[in-house]
Amino acid sequence: MDLLRERTGRGAEDRNLILFETALAEIGSNVLIYTGKHGSKGPPVEYELRLEAGTATASFTDWGPPLHNQLPRAMPAPTSEAGRGIAIARKVLDELGYKRDGEVNYWRLVKRL
Amino acid sequence: MPPVTELPKLNGSNLRPLAVGLPPMSLEVQARQTDAGVTVLAPSGRLDVAGAPSLKDAVTEAVKNGPRVVIDLEGVSFVDSTGLGSVIAALKLVRSSKGDLRLAAPNQQVRVVLELTTLDRVFPYFATVEEALTDF
Repeated sequence: MDLLRERTGRGAEDRNLILFETALAEIGSNVLIYTGKHGSKGPPVEYELRLEAGTATASFTDWGPPLHNQLPRAMPAPTSEAGRGIAIARKVLDELGYKRDGEVNYWRLVKRL
Repeated sequence: MPPVTELPKLNGSNLRPLAVGLPPMSLEVQARQTDAGVTVLAPSGRLDVAGAPSLKDAVTEAVKNGPRVVIDLEGVSFVDSTGLGSVIAALKLVRSSKGDLRLAAPNQQVRVVLELTTLDRVFPYFATVEEALTDF
């Protein structure tokens, strides 16, 4: 994120960068937790971040369990202590892509800055 | 992308960072008590999946001394959904003890996340700890 701020010349208070970082943290921690929790025997998680034409794109490739049935859009009740991560990411990104191909999960996070 | 159900979160004891490649515990919490008996907790660091258990522990300890708590967020650089969950758990805990919770001095990222999740309606937050204390 520091690199993104440097390349875009935007400060710590820039709303779009804050939204992208927030979504990135949510998806990234989910990927790491689920891959770790299920003892993935595949290669380590792959992560890539691109900045092109004012659009930030992050991708994760992991060998954890399939998660295509666990991508809620709705924010849970205010009293709920969990379940907001994916909903936040879906709300703030221009695109949140998820694909399961064989034993591999592909995630794509896109935000126009 | 099909609509789906809530992702279950691991609890703190399962989140051994080394097992999943996360950084080690990233949050320190300082506690002090005012003359009026309000506990001010000042976490410092990232209130995220790794840091949330530290805040939960601190709130549990604080409530033993009284159920009115201010969380001073000035030192929190970043909050994620698990960190928010720990604040909601804190609110439930203090209210179950007939107390209340106030948030103070959130940075821009924390304010944005509170707003996105509409939790800014649940947690009135204040610019300073002093303002939060006068609200009790």
